[in-house]
Formats: sequence, structure tokens, C-alpha cells
Amino acid sequence: MQEVAHSLSRFHPEVVLTAALLLVVLVDSSGVRFRNVVNQVLTVAALAAALVFSIRLTGSSGETWSGLLVVDPLGVFFKMLLVGASLLVALVFTFRNSRELQGLGQGEFYALLLAVTLSNLLLAASNDLAMLYLSLEMVSITSYVMVAYMKGDRMSNEASLKYVLFGAVSTGAMLYGLSLLYGLAGTTSLPGIRAFLAAGISDANLFAVYAIAFLVLAGFGFKTATVPFHFWCPDVYEGAPTPVTAFLSVAPKAAGFAIMTRFFFQGFSTQAGGPWGHVAAIDWPRVLMLVSVATMTVGNVAALTQTNMKRLLAYSSIAHAGYIMMGVVALSEDGARALQIYLLAYVFMNLGAFLVVTLIHNQDGTFDLRDYPGMYRRAPLLTLAMAVFLLSLMGIPPLIGFMGKFYVFAAIIEKGPSYGWYAVVGAVNAAIAAYYYARVLKTMIIDAGNETRPAFRIPAVDMAWVLFFAAANVVPLLFWGAIDGWTRQSLVLFAGR
Amino acid sequence: MIGLQHYLLVSAALFSLGILGVLTRRNAVNVLMGVELILNSANINLVAFSRYGTGNLQGQLFAVFVIVIAAAEVAVALAIVLTLYRLRHTPNLDEADILRG
Repeated sequence: MQEVAHSLSRFHPEVVLTAALLLVVLVDSSGVRFRNVVNQVLTVAALAAALVFSIRLTGSSGETWSGLLVVDPLGVFFKMLLVGASLLVALVFTFRNSRELQGLGQGEFYALLLAVTLSNLLLAASNDLAMLYLSLEMVSITSYVMVAYMKGDRMSNEASLKYVLFGAVSTGAMLYGLSLLYGLAGTTSLPGIRAFLAAGISDANLFAVYAIAFLVLAGFGFKTATVPFHFWCPDVYEGAPTPVTAFLSVAPKAAGFAIMTRFFFQGFSTQAGGPWGHVAAIDWPRVLMLVSVATMTVGNVAALTQTNMKRLLAYSSIAHAGYIMMGVVALSEDGARALQIYLLAYVFMNLGAFLVVTLIHNQDGTFDLRDYPGMYRRAPLLTLAMAVFLLSLMGIPPLIGFMGKFYVFAAIIEKGPSYGWYAVVGAVNAAIAAYYYARVLKTMIIDAGNETRPAFRIPAVDMAWVLFFAAANVVPLLFWGAIDGWTRQSLVLFAGR
Repeated sequence: MIGLQHYLLVSAALFSLGILGVLTRRNAVNVLMGVELILNSANINLVAFSRYGTGNLQGQLFAVFVIVIAAAEVAVALAIVLTLYRLRHTPNLDEADILRG
């Protein structure tokens, strides 16, 4: 009983989200006249409450629910990030400003948003293989439904079909890997697995450890959209309603990186009072390095020729997953911190870019870059905001995206000369990326066209949110000391018993 | 005497058949059957390890959860396949090809 009471006291964000999820379903099926407004208010209130509860967890550390979940500073950081991202999506991407979602039921959308958020929180805090698999599947299954939200739309349907089949196979392969890991280590708890691997294993089992790592990477790779499990990403991002795309590009990706960090740092690394090191059985940073190099290269090269903005941003998000992975490869406190800062920056720049794409679609009904010329004349403020988001994604200095890149590259260079070529590949990739982001800007600002189309009429609320995101890409740099200190505090992983 | 190895061989065979089915079938329902094989091969592993290897019940518990997840996943996947059929009058995957580039 004491265990349950103790666990519950550190489970407030999840409890609030579950309660709100059930309430939203109830209100929606009750048929009350103002149910849509009530549901949006409920969702926003629940997410805000969960954010407050997450902040109040700061500083606590320990296992909960008999070691299935864990509360630690890194986990609390991800709780705040994940709830915050969902809150922004619920506030900004409403049914009012999305042409794609108009006329569809609203209650399910908020219920699904809350369900994905809840499972994201569980995934980021998993400390046990069973919990890891359960929450990963919960994130996936609810996202499949979100992608299929426009059920009369062939693109939305095709996107979710590809998503569900690809997801089922990669998480199935991951489950097979997890079952082998359980057989090898004799336990499903991550600290137990670390203890088993750190004690050293016989040569006969080395092959098994590599096979397990590759199979498990299939699941993580699917969740974070890294090569070679990225094929679903462009199709799903294009077919899904834009608010869903914006959400999927940020929150589940962050949760995927959270669990990837936890799995490899907690289960496959040792930290005997000194710096982190991988277990002798497998040099997993090398494996992840190759995945990361392939991911950023494939993402950036494929993005060069895209003309659909949603597809372009999909490939750009694949490339960013490659950079974010550098933080995991570094296997150091600086690496983990770089990962946090990059994901934080990524939330603001990516949601901002998707918001602009949504607003342009509302006005013109197009996602095609070839319809973007003349945008600066028709909507100067919107174009300037888009410039901020794209330059931030590019990693240009006075913007928050630069800080993300700066920290990951610094963490890699710190590792010594043998990692030098990795940093060089990353830098070359950043240069390639600059080309296609700049191409979008050139189309919007310099290219002539669409002279007959009217100027944009954007509601003041939406414009205010665009400016908010633009400010969020600049203002944090004025308070960088505070942010730096905050992420430094949230580095500690719960080491386990 | 049937031991752990036999179970592992069966599960490896099932896993391979599942992957093969997923890769070669055109019909979405058949692909989902392949997925079921993959999940159940992992279940055999979990239960066999729990019985013969590790001496604890965590594996069996895990397998029960996997069964639940498999049911939920197939429910969602079949709903999506049904929508595909309504929109295009075919369960064949290679005819779902408007998203590309």
C-alpha cells in the first residue's frame, strides 16, 4: 500500500491526463450543445495542470510502480517538454484555423491528443522492457488513428495504412529483440540488464547482443524516423492533417529520443563514478553513429528536390533526427544536455514552420511550394516569421536552432579526434540543408507571381501565435544562462539499485 | 525431451515466416497475419525463457500484455483497411499509391 501511495504521489501528471481523457470522451458522447468548446477548454486545462505537476516533480528521483517507471531529473525535463508541446498544439492548431479538419468531430481529436501525451509521458519514464513496449505501442496505435482523422480522404487513409503496417512490423521486430534480451539477461528491468551486461558476458553471446541491439533499434528508429526506418515519414506527414503532422513531428519524436537515451544510457552503459562508458559487450555508439550519419544525409539530400512543403519539412525532420542522435552517440552529460537543448529548440522552430504552412493552406488551399511566390508582398509579417523559423532550422547564429546545433557539435568534438569525421559530416549536412531552406525563402520573398491573388487575411489570434513562435526562437538567447543552468540540473539519470 | 532450444527454433521460424509474409503479400489482411506471426513468435520466446531459463514470471506477464497490445493493434489496423476498402474498393496495398515523391 505504501508503495502505491508513494508512486501515486509522483504520478500526478499522468493521473490528470487520464481523468481528462475520460471526461472528454464522456462530454463528447453526451451531445451537449457546447461540447466542442468544453472539450477544448478541458484539454488545455488538463495539459496546463499536467505541466504544473511536472514542474513540481523537479528534484525528485526514484523508482515508482515497483520499478516499472522511474522519476528522475532527465525524465522530468522530458515530461515538461512533452506536455508543453501538446499544450502548444492544443492551443494553436485548432479546428478554427485548419481547413482540413473543418466539419469533422472534435471530441475524438482532443481525446487522442491527450492519449498520445499520456503514453509519451509513460514512454519517456519507462524503466522496464514490458513498460517500454506497452507505452511505445500506445503512442503508435493512438498516432495511427490521429493520422487517419480525415476518414473520407484517400491521402489521410493511405498515410495511416502505411504508418500502421510499417509500425506494426518495426515494433514487432523490436519486441522479438526485447524477448531475446529478457532471455539473455533473465530480467526485464533496465538496471538489472545493466548489471548483467556490466558483469561481462561470454563470447558466445556477443552475437546475440548485437542482434538484440539491431532489432531494438528498429522500434526506436521507427519512433524517431531515422534511417532505415524512415520510409513512412514523408508519406505520413503529407497525408495526415497538418495539425497532426505538426504534433507527430515534435512530441513522439522527443519521446522516442527520451527512451532511446534511457535504454542505451541506463541499460547498455556504465558510469562507475567517472565518465560514461558503453558496456564491453557492444560498442553501440559506433552503430548509432552510422545510423545518424545515414539519417542526416538521406534526409537532407531527399529534401533538396521536394516541392510539397509538408514533404520538405518531413525530410527536414528526418535530417534533424540525425543531428539529435549525435547527443546520444556522444554518451556523456554534455551529449544528453545537447539532446535536451536541441529538442527544446526543435519544438519552437518546427511548430512555427508548420503553423505558417497551415495558415497559407487556409488562405490558398495549397501545400505546393510552386504556389508560394509573391508571399512577401501578400503577407509580409507571416513571411518574415517563416524566415525566422527556416533560419532557425538552418542553424543561423542569433536563433535558438543554432544553440541546438552548437551543443551537439560541441559534445561530439569533445569526444576526441576519432569523432572528428562525424562532426565534419554533420557540418557538410548543415550546409546542404541551408540550400533547401534558403530555396523556400527565395521563392516566398524574391520570386514574382500570384499578382492577382488578394492579400492575406489572417485572424489576429493566429498572427499573435506566429509572432509568439518567432519570439520564442529569439528571446531564449537573452536568458541563455538560466536555460543552460536548468538543463544542467536535469541531466541526472536515476542510476538504479 | 523438448527443451528451450526447440521453442527458440519454432519462434525463429515463425518470426522469419512473419517477415516473409509481410514482405511478399499484396493483400493488407494477409500482411496483418504476418504481423501476428511476428508478435506470437516473441510470445513463444518470452514464455519459453520464463519456463526454462530465467526462473521468474516477468516473461509470462510480458506475454499477456503483448496479447492485449496485438488485439488493439489489429483492431485499429483492420479499421484502417476497412476504410481503404470503402474508399478504393480494394484491399490491395500496391493500389494505395497516391503519396510518393
